[in-house]
Amino acid sequence: MTGTTWQRLDGPVTFALPTRALTVLVLLVATNIAVLVASFMFGSYPIDLPGVLATLVGNAPSETAETVVWNLRFPRSLAAMMTGALFALSGAVLQNITRNPLADPSLVGVSQGAGFAVVAAMIAFPDMGSVWRPALAFAGALAVAALIQWIAMQRTGGATMRFILTGIGVAAFISAGTNALLTYGDIDRALAALGWLAGSIHAARWGEVWSLAFCLALCAPILIWAARPMTALQFGPDIATGFGVAVRRNRIALITLSVALAAFAVAAVGPLGFVGLVAPHIARRIARAGVGLHLALTGATGALMVSLADLLGRTLFAPVQIPAGLMTALIGVPLFVWLILRSQARTQL
Amino acid sequence: MTALLRSGIVGSGTVFALGALALAFGWHIAVGAKVIPLSVVIDALATPDPREFDHMVIRDLRLPRALFAVLVGGALAVAGALMQGTTRNPLAEPGLLGLLSGASFAVVMAVGVFDVANPALTPLIAAIGALGAASIVWLIATSAPGGATPLTLVLSGAAVTAFLGALISIANLLDEDSFETLRVWLTGTLAGRSTGVMLWALPWLIAGMGVALVVARQVTALSMGDETATGLGVDVTRLKALVLFSVVALTAAAVAIAGPMGFVGLIVPHAARLIFGHDYRVIVPFCAIFGATFLLVADIAARMVLSPVEVSTGIVTALLGAPFFVWLVRARL
Repeated sequence: MTGTTWQRLDGPVTFALPTRALTVLVLLVATNIAVLVASFMFGSYPIDLPGVLATLVGNAPSETAETVVWNLRFPRSLAAMMTGALFALSGAVLQNITRNPLADPSLVGVSQGAGFAVVAAMIAFPDMGSVWRPALAFAGALAVAALIQWIAMQRTGGATMRFILTGIGVAAFISAGTNALLTYGDIDRALAALGWLAGSIHAARWGEVWSLAFCLALCAPILIWAARPMTALQFGPDIATGFGVAVRRNRIALITLSVALAAFAVAAVGPLGFVGLVAPHIARRIARAGVGLHLALTGATGALMVSLADLLGRTLFAPVQIPAGLMTALIGVPLFVWLILRSQARTQL
Repeated sequence: MTALLRSGIVGSGTVFALGALALAFGWHIAVGAKVIPLSVVIDALATPDPREFDHMVIRDLRLPRALFAVLVGGALAVAGALMQGTTRNPLAEPGLLGLLSGASFAVVMAVGVFDVANPALTPLIAAIGALGAASIVWLIATSAPGGATPLTLVLSGAAVTAFLGALISIANLLDEDSFETLRVWLTGTLAGRSTGVMLWALPWLIAGMGVALVVARQVTALSMGDETATGLGVDVTRLKALVLFSVVALTAAAVAIAGPMGFVGLIVPHAARLIFGHDYRVIVPFCAIFGATFLLVADIAARMVLSPVEVSTGIVTALLGAPFFVWLVRARL
């Protein structure tokens, strides 16, 4: 860890400050804000920078500008950032507990489980309010996570590899089930579900933003608590036990946390692939840090990834909007391949 | 002694497998929006009468679909068997290793973006796509530390599938009109496919199947390891090239007819190996018969389970195949 060490009282009190990681974090947050402002400017109704700033402080140049920024672009960009952070954090926690650098909520079927539960409810009870989506998504995702864990744990040895492969199989099964539901369901409801499933943020309004913010606020203190057991667990269950960490209990708690993070994000915008896989690795590349700071960096990276993906997706081929889920797949897959190529995990498998 | 016993199994197995295939074929034609009695089905196939409405339905609508199922199922199962034998990888399958998505990506690009709607070219385009995807997946997996293990192969297959899937969706969004016809095809379906496409795919299928039957003996040697095969006098490089050609041709024919149909090539070879052991001279022909039977039954399920709504056959094969994949991961790895 690169950093500066502060000494007080001639040595008895020392404090290591990871300056590089903190600088990077500040830079990431600044870039996020820059992308946020850029996302207000570009689109089918371009607004110049002074116009955006004026709209934000309350004296918009025109009524259209006010509507576009406050009712459309602001909630959408905020939703993109928050879902990005949620997916990234979910992936970071999952990679930590499974000690598997390739674990990702969308690869192993957790996101698909959440999606299946929501689609089933959308088709069976079309009048259901979107308030219930997070709970449904959480239930579906948790069921899938428990199923994968249960299957992968049946035999000892090589558990990491079986976890991923089992997850891929379960993901394929649930996707097929969701597709069957879509064919069976009424065409209008199916179309509504289909748009949501592509991982699209365009429908996000302030309602989604508030529910996402609520979920983030709910999970943040748990994440701060989780940094300690995660620090111990990254050395493996044996050493973690030696540190005095109740491995089994913490594993279950952390998996539940990871599932909850992914499920809340899925409930808001649908499954977005590869963010949870890639963001933790990017964060680790740009600055080495302890678990707590790494989580913060990961969250910021994920937020940046998805907001950039959304901005590119809606401006690149305008007026056609490419859902952010497709953009994250295009960005994420090459990085995923790079991870396969140089992953040290192979020696563990 | 074992040879005798084996030939006994093979003899009775042939009778049983062909009987099951014939039964599934007849049943497949009999079910549908209007249930036609099996006796009428046999009549229509043996002595067609153009004045009988049921006979016309069978000859023009249901018989082609049943034939598609037989061809596609047989092709995918044999392709899967060859892949599993040559790579010694229980999880090898055209779908999991990215060949199906490569082929469908190429077809989508050709039809949707470059406006090549010629059915004669479709199998060739699909073959190029399948070959490209297979090469990329193989390249990634072999360059990974540890080489082409089942895990790296499946992971790189998943990566390539995800990437091509995203590109297909984007192309779809950019030009919704020309994708209207492709959208159903992309989920793997036997419904509403034209006989013309099948006729153009047939040469590919015959070529691939012929090569598969010819090299089956040597694949048995190769399934025991490259060194063993070389010791037994097999030209390993040449054999692998032939197998690759056969797999690509079979996959391309299947995709041209029915779109990407996952997991058929995974289940059937394992079932055949369970019954008939590891001699690919026996496994390859039985995979063709079992694959055809399997896809006929899957297609019957696709039409009956949620009737009157019909689900895509590809969804049914995935629903059957994915749990089997999970079981394989648990039992074999």
